[in-house]
Amino acid sequence: MNFSFQRIRDPLHNVIEFPRDEFHDAMWKVIQTREFQRLRRVKQLGFSELVYPGATHTRFAHSIGVFHTARKLMEVVKRYLGDPGYQETKARSSLAAALVHDLGHGPYSHAFEDVGRRLNLTMADHEKVTDHLVREGEVGSALSGLGSGFAADVADVVKKAGHASIYGAVVSSQFDADRLDYVQRDRLMTGTHHGAIDFSWLLSNLEVGEVSYGVDGVAVGKIETFVLGPKALHAAEAYLLGLFQLYATVYLHKTTRGAEKLFSEMLVRTIELARSNSVTKTGLPKSHPIIQFAKHPEKLENALDLDDLVVGGAISLMVHAKDPVIAALSKNLRDRRLFKCFDVRECLYQRLSGVELAEKEFEAACLSVERRLLDWSKENPQGVPHLLIDKPERPIYKTMTEESKGPLDQIMMKPTHGTGEPFDVALVSQVVKAIRPFRAFRVYHEKGDEKAKRVLSESIDEEVLKWKP
Amino acid sequence: METLRSSRSDAEKAVAIIHDAGGEIVGKTRLQKAAYILEIVGLGEGFAFEYRHYGPFSEELARAVVVAEVQGYIAQEERPATWGGTYSIFRAPANDSGAVSAVPRERLLQTVVKANPVALELAATAAYLAREGYSNPWAETYRRKPDKAAHFLEAAKELYRQLSSIKTPIALPCILD
Repeated sequence: MNFSFQRIRDPLHNVIEFPRDEFHDAMWKVIQTREFQRLRRVKQLGFSELVYPGATHTRFAHSIGVFHTARKLMEVVKRYLGDPGYQETKARSSLAAALVHDLGHGPYSHAFEDVGRRLNLTMADHEKVTDHLVREGEVGSALSGLGSGFAADVADVVKKAGHASIYGAVVSSQFDADRLDYVQRDRLMTGTHHGAIDFSWLLSNLEVGEVSYGVDGVAVGKIETFVLGPKALHAAEAYLLGLFQLYATVYLHKTTRGAEKLFSEMLVRTIELARSNSVTKTGLPKSHPIIQFAKHPEKLENALDLDDLVVGGAISLMVHAKDPVIAALSKNLRDRRLFKCFDVRECLYQRLSGVELAEKEFEAACLSVERRLLDWSKENPQGVPHLLIDKPERPIYKTMTEESKGPLDQIMMKPTHGTGEPFDVALVSQVVKAIRPFRAFRVYHEKGDEKAKRVLSESIDEEVLKWKP
Repeated sequence: METLRSSRSDAEKAVAIIHDAGGEIVGKTRLQKAAYILEIVGLGEGFAFEYRHYGPFSEELARAVVVAEVQGYIAQEERPATWGGTYSIFRAPANDSGAVSAVPRERLLQTVVKANPVALELAATAAYLAREGYSNPWAETYRRKPDKAAHFLEAAKELYRQLSSIKTPIALPCILD
């Protein structure tokens, strides 16, 4: 059979090659499908471009970068498992999973998922959509060229529904190809100088080893996973610190999150009106993909019709909506007139300086302020809410507990002298041990909303009084 | 009673599970699976579950436990496990002196508290898969978790049998021979 040789030029990895063989030919066919091409119209970082104008890169480029990185990781697996341990079929499933793992993302990915959660929209869940797309449709057909059960195997790897193994770790672990691509790509494209990682050194020190695992207090056995050589300790620390910094400065940036909040409110309102037979108030025609999705959110085809261009383009229609909430919010988004952000944590830190507060007491103080704000919001509803509360939390690294994603999700270090079982990086690194989850507590309100400002101020005063009577 | 229940915060709901289990639950896996089993037999707190590495898992419950600890409703003690990781013990005021209860929710929890956590994980996973439409959930559980199932599948079935024998508003999926 004649297979062609294909290449893609990538800003992060430079040349990504698809050699002349059956597997890469199938992967190239996957890239040509409608579902994969749609990823050209879904930005990797959604509203981040409002903060970092260069961050307009797409999930299309990222997905191909993940595939490329996964091949590098799989070379490590192959080198360590050798013959006959290395299983080509499992490796192929994982590599294909790396390529298609993001297929189901909707417009402005995470903000859209938030809308889906609020309104219980089945096909706004990117994992569900990906699962359908990998098993069925054009992608499923392209994958089936590698065997009748291949598409199902790939879907299981993406869904993490199969047997957890080192092959799956290539797609889902602390050192998975997804993370290794996005920490580098997002840094490059945003232009931030935070979060640099020493990828070549990490890869050069990556090995496969066996670690023990268990459930609660009960030991189960051993499993193969990635382990780092002792000389990569500081590179591992930098990797985790880099992730922390990217979360603080890019992924959970206050302006990006503020835009996402407005987007969610706008879309929730639009979908609710469309579902209550008030399409004419939304500013959109009945045939618009957003309205079609609102009417039948369970249809895969309707989810596939949505992307950043479709939704972003709808905003210029929605500014003319009869509904004042949709009109106002879409103007906010179109002209980047975002709500003011008030950082409650920072304010409490400042106001409570000098008071000896344990971490739990500080978190309790935050919860108490949040409860007051939520109660007030319930009593004072209005079209565009006075207060939009955002409390993101992102643990950067968890030591192995039953709540973590399992033994494959740890960074394990090989002992310096080569004997003994690999151990968790947090046992030897004071830096890793000290990294706390990234937490924020922000409240967004319209610039001139005096009511909102007053209730914020009073809620914080009340809490501060508890500690500084 | 139902109105009272639905007006409680997630943290209070998490505390109620530990409370009804006798005031102590060892392990996050056990707590998660206990809450899941209560949920599917109609005695739960309304937490949403999805499939994760250790079977059915609720992010809402995990968050609720953190909040409950911050608010001082429960205490969490972390201990090193023999296999190299750590495990947690959750404590909350108990509901009684430890006498065997006739109330289904408490009977279920008392059974779960005494169960082997690996067997419990497998039993909860099989129940989850049955509800997802798998015709042979035990075989699918084995396929997904061969290392655990090789040693604990029979114990999981026995545990499932015990749990199924407790009369609940909704019966556990009928998946035993």
